[in-house]
Amino acid sequence: MDSEREDSPASSSVSSLSRRVMGVENDRSFRRPNIPIELDDFDSDTSDLMSLRNSSHPSAKTSPIEDYSSSIHKLPPEVLLLIFTNIRHKPDLVPLLLVCKRWASLLVELIWFRPSLMDNQALRGIREVMRRDRTSTYWDYRQYIRRLNLSFVYDKVDDEFLSLFAGSTNLERLTLVNCSRLSHRPIVDILQGCEKLQSIDMTGVKDITDEILAALAENCPRLQGLYAPGCPTVTNSVLFRIINSCPMLKRVKISDCVNLNDDTIVQLTEKCKFLIEVDVHNCPNITDFSLQKLFCDLDQLREFRISHNPNVSDILFRVIPEEMYLDRLRIIDLTGCLRITDRAVEAIVQCAPRLRNVVLSKCLNITDSSLRSLAALGKSLHYIHLGHCSNITDYGVVTLIKSCHRLQYIDLACCAQLTNLSLVELSSLPRLRRIGLVKCNNINDAGILALIQRRGYDDTLERVHLSYCTNIGLYPIFQLLQACPRLTHLSLTGISAFLRPDITTFCRSPPADFNDNQRKLFCVFSGQGVAMLRDHMTRLFLAQTHNNRFFMRDGPIEPQEAQRFRALNQVPEIQDGRQRMEENIQNLQRLTNFFRAGGQANQLAGLQAQAGLQVQAAPAAPPPEDEDEVMSE
Amino acid sequence: MSEITLTSSDNESFKVEKKIAERSILIKNMIGDLAGDDDDGFEIPIPNVRSTVLKKVIEWATHHKDTSFPDDEDEDSRKSAPVDEWDKEFLKVDQEMLYEIILAANYLNIRPLLDAGCKVVAEMIRGKSPEEIRRTFNIVNDFSPEEEEAIKRENEWAEDR
Repeated sequence: MDSEREDSPASSSVSSLSRRVMGVENDRSFRRPNIPIELDDFDSDTSDLMSLRNSSHPSAKTSPIEDYSSSIHKLPPEVLLLIFTNIRHKPDLVPLLLVCKRWASLLVELIWFRPSLMDNQALRGIREVMRRDRTSTYWDYRQYIRRLNLSFVYDKVDDEFLSLFAGSTNLERLTLVNCSRLSHRPIVDILQGCEKLQSIDMTGVKDITDEILAALAENCPRLQGLYAPGCPTVTNSVLFRIINSCPMLKRVKISDCVNLNDDTIVQLTEKCKFLIEVDVHNCPNITDFSLQKLFCDLDQLREFRISHNPNVSDILFRVIPEEMYLDRLRIIDLTGCLRITDRAVEAIVQCAPRLRNVVLSKCLNITDSSLRSLAALGKSLHYIHLGHCSNITDYGVVTLIKSCHRLQYIDLACCAQLTNLSLVELSSLPRLRRIGLVKCNNINDAGILALIQRRGYDDTLERVHLSYCTNIGLYPIFQLLQACPRLTHLSLTGISAFLRPDITTFCRSPPADFNDNQRKLFCVFSGQGVAMLRDHMTRLFLAQTHNNRFFMRDGPIEPQEAQRFRALNQVPEIQDGRQRMEENIQNLQRLTNFFRAGGQANQLAGLQAQAGLQVQAAPAAPPPEDEDEVMSE
Repeated sequence: MSEITLTSSDNESFKVEKKIAERSILIKNMIGDLAGDDDDGFEIPIPNVRSTVLKKVIEWATHHKDTSFPDDEDEDSRKSAPVDEWDKEFLKVDQEMLYEIILAANYLNIRPLLDAGCKVVAEMIRGKSPEEIRRTFNIVNDFSPEEEEAIKRENEWAEDR
């Protein structure tokens, strides 16, 4: 059982709370010296609870009216909590704090269990409360905080803010994703005394140091999840300390760390027997030697990620004993491990037959042969990333797709040999949600139209990446937008047909670190931008069909009209040549008919070239070197 | 088909089909642990539940003897499922009886009945002001005005959604 991930806040809160309310733990947080309440009040309150637990109602001997008046008090705290957790909207619980002390003592824990810091207003509110002296507030709220997630307000989180939470010793989870302004100091402070901490996520924190890992080793023996990507300075000795002090570790991510080496991995394998997820991205000093031990000793491993490692080679999976199956392994990521070849991929598939996600991007040596091996994963495979594997051809892609019909995510960026044929094959995947074809320069209008025509309307596609497919024009994208109502992301960077003001106006703004040239070429639509682009192109093509002239109609388009146009599904005129487009469509028809009739790949090539030639190549925009949309999800 | 005898706190006995009685995980475990192979006629005292309440609980279990409920572990679907229409009618009883049914479900470990009862009470609470809730449930306000003010001030950030 994966209790770390699967226990829901309600269930764990209810059980731990009821334990506490029933007096297993002393609740010391009821200090409120500034408010004149006698301690006796609280004591009698608890003993009252205890007697109620035995269901002998204390007021049963008194008058019937009084008996009725307190009848809801019959319910023990764990049942009251169950009632409160059924009021699912958390803000609705806040007014209930004022009903009576007994309710308040239960509700305060539910409300502060995971303070909801979704926006700056909440952040300001909680900061005001936490800045007060902890003895001057009605409760010391720190005791109630079990989960603290600051990732939604990351840009407002600084050292002063985090240090307000020092003393929250019941913390179970601390999430600091993207809190890049934090230094290590308040993190070390907050960890003091947190012996119940189960997981810490510091993804995006810049100052992950030995001090933090030492504080975890000292204070948090129950740690299960450690996410510390980007910690180049941490030393091997502190890694040993944390491995030895936290034997329950299940999920470990330590990346970009030169000091993490074979010794560390061997130690991890020996001490942490519950590991299910290991991520050691960009740790160049790990070799096959320790990883073999990891895989042989921990057959429950579910996720393994390494990248840009110059040592991992074909040997790794070939020495794993034949009878050994990594049945649980679902995710493997070997991005940029240049020594990985087809033989490694073959061996991986043999010992881990139930892989769901396979990432081999930038494994430059793999060929179609790897895709043939991966095809054996069949319906298990949902996610495949082959970006920059430039040896791959249509043949390999067709083989893979024919066997793995449950693929939802496929990235073939920079596989420059691929042609429209791969697109025709992609059209057969019923669950496909995401396609990456950045810089697949051979694909053109006919390929996109084939994809759409065969997939039909009401398509499952959500994200389509076509940047630098410079031969694509407006019409197929118009059709794509019509056919895919769930589309939330479309990238068309560097395609000249789209780099015009009426279209780029719907494009989202380029990343801050882009230079002028990159900005000029940037053309990515997401969320509302996709919907607006769809409306705009509908208007564009409607205007053309009706008036045979290129202009935009004013005002929004009525849905019926758009629907009629879609129903007609006729070929509209494009400014620079109706005839050319019609020829394309005819060729496309021949292509798809041929394919349906079961044509062979090599015979098809001729036909396809014919189809491709019909679309005049747009002047290619030179892609900037570091354009790396491939990795953007 | 074996029958089990359940005896209430006020010594009334009910003969119940085993399958129905086993809607209660407590009873199911007791039968498993204690009854041996021949469980027909096995007697179980239920000292925490009055006969009128036990009768209601048996009525519920009889109605639901073939219902399949979401897994206990599946917190989400248990919480989000609306109360079954029959259960809603079944739980239209006075508050006293409602709490006793909930207590019995809690004691006997009948999760779906406990959930339904708690949801009905949650419905009675939802959207009411503290004063209205106190009136509905006859709860005495034991806070001083200063305390109310402090609690309001320190928790209002969680309310603004």
